[in-house]
Amino acid sequence: MNSPFSLYVARESGLHHLHPLTKLTLTFGLLIAALALPWIWATYILTALVIVPLSVWGHIARPLLRAIWTTVMPFAISVFLIQGLLWGSGTELFRLGPVSLKQEGFVFATASTGRILMIFGAFLLFAMATRPDTLMIALKQIGFPGGLAYIIVTTIQIVPRFQAKANTILDAQRSRGLETEGNILVRARALLPLVMPLVLGSLVDVEERAIAVEARAFNSKRRETSLVEITDSQTQQIARWLMMGLTVGILIARVIWR
Amino acid sequence: MALIELSNVTYTYPAAKFPALQNLNLQVNEGELVALVGANGAGKSTLCYTLAGFVPHFYRGELKGTVAVAGVDTHTTPLSELVLTVGLVFQNPFSQISGSKFTVYEEIAFGLENIGLPREEMKARVEKAMTLTGIVDLAGRSPYALSGGQQQRVALASILAMAPKVLVLDEPTSQLDPIGTREVFQVIKTLSQQGVTIIMAEHKIEWIATFADRVVALAGGEIILQGKPEEVLASPLLPEHGIGISRYTSVARLAAQESLWPAGRRLPVTLTEALDGFANT
Repeated sequence: MNSPFSLYVARESGLHHLHPLTKLTLTFGLLIAALALPWIWATYILTALVIVPLSVWGHIARPLLRAIWTTVMPFAISVFLIQGLLWGSGTELFRLGPVSLKQEGFVFATASTGRILMIFGAFLLFAMATRPDTLMIALKQIGFPGGLAYIIVTTIQIVPRFQAKANTILDAQRSRGLETEGNILVRARALLPLVMPLVLGSLVDVEERAIAVEARAFNSKRRETSLVEITDSQTQQIARWLMMGLTVGILIARVIWR
Repeated sequence: MALIELSNVTYTYPAAKFPALQNLNLQVNEGELVALVGANGAGKSTLCYTLAGFVPHFYRGELKGTVAVAGVDTHTTPLSELVLTVGLVFQNPFSQISGSKFTVYEEIAFGLENIGLPREEMKARVEKAMTLTGIVDLAGRSPYALSGGQQQRVALASILAMAPKVLVLDEPTSQLDPIGTREVFQVIKTLSQQGVTIIMAEHKIEWIATFADRVVALAGGEIILQGKPEEVLASPLLPEHGIGISRYTSVARLAAQESLWPAGRRLPVTLTEALDGFANT
């Protein structure tokens, strides 16, 4: 079952049944690799060899690739335009009138896009294949404070909720005659009446949600239990240690050969 | 014996110049359904939060006097323990969802996990609460994929599962459509009939008139009137303090001016009373 306010995509797959911490360790490792690996194509290769096959295994390849396409493409286009065409000095690849494409700018844009692609890919893979509540249970089981685990889990889900709220405000302001389409000046003018209610409304929501969870003994000193059982295995525990070791190895290598 | 006892309660919010509640005294008996009425800013919500211990534990500020619920002093008892005695449901159904659970069933169990109940007891309590609130068929749905009325019943069930001795409802239907309002009021009526002690702040006078045991009218943080619904809700004091009255009372008041309402007869607050009165005109 999918939730309209969560990125989670319900599927019966091996990826979905993995322990949340196994997926979290993998995601963390991929994020570190995306930032630390110095080779320009490493992020693209890892995305193709790790993230895409895992999404196929989890039956979430289609929504994952769609989400990557809509989030990474605008960034990629803008970074290629800015860095590729406006790079100060360097080797010119080709020239079109007053604009020239510099090799250094092109390399930088390719590397940046690769990093964003892998970071988004890893995050989306994790969010689409992991139920937020099981993650919260898993984090608490390894000694995370309940409050911190709750913040992590609700933050993962905040994007779609924020999006839904923003759309409601957008519709409400449009129905009252606010122009939201047109040139950049019109759009900039429309920003304040959209952002202010979104921010203020979210602050009120935070207070109300704090009361709601307090009313359900959120800060109780009693030892918590959980309704949902999550299963782990020795193989997964070993895999987690290996991934953590590999991540630390990447970081150390990066520091030594920087 | 009173289950709830407020003595000389005065409360001022942090940085506020004037108290939100002033020298308030109130007793509520076990099994009673008490409705709080008042204009906006009269102190209804503050009173609800005071009964549930959120004043002063959450909102801070200065609380004078004593508030005791089922023998528990709300001032000295930690909020996380107090919620086992007093349950609070408030206006916005959406923001009462924890945001960390995936199904309605799990959402209702959220509080039970926090107090460390064994899994089997948790399941029994969740199922009982769902039956009471009529949401058994929603068990596997996402709490976010429900109507406002359904979400509010989930919020009610989440609190009921904690088995509090007192239920405090702060305008539970104010953000709901008529269907959602009816759904929630029917649950409240069932709970009241089963002997649950309920304090409810509410603007919907017609609903209050039909099943509240007692009505307490507030203005400026003080109790201006309390008694049986038919006595309080027909009082001319209510409109004077900006408190809404039943549409049946309004019609009968206009009729009385035209001598179309039986002389000396109390103004009606329910449809039945209005029909009976007009039949005898």
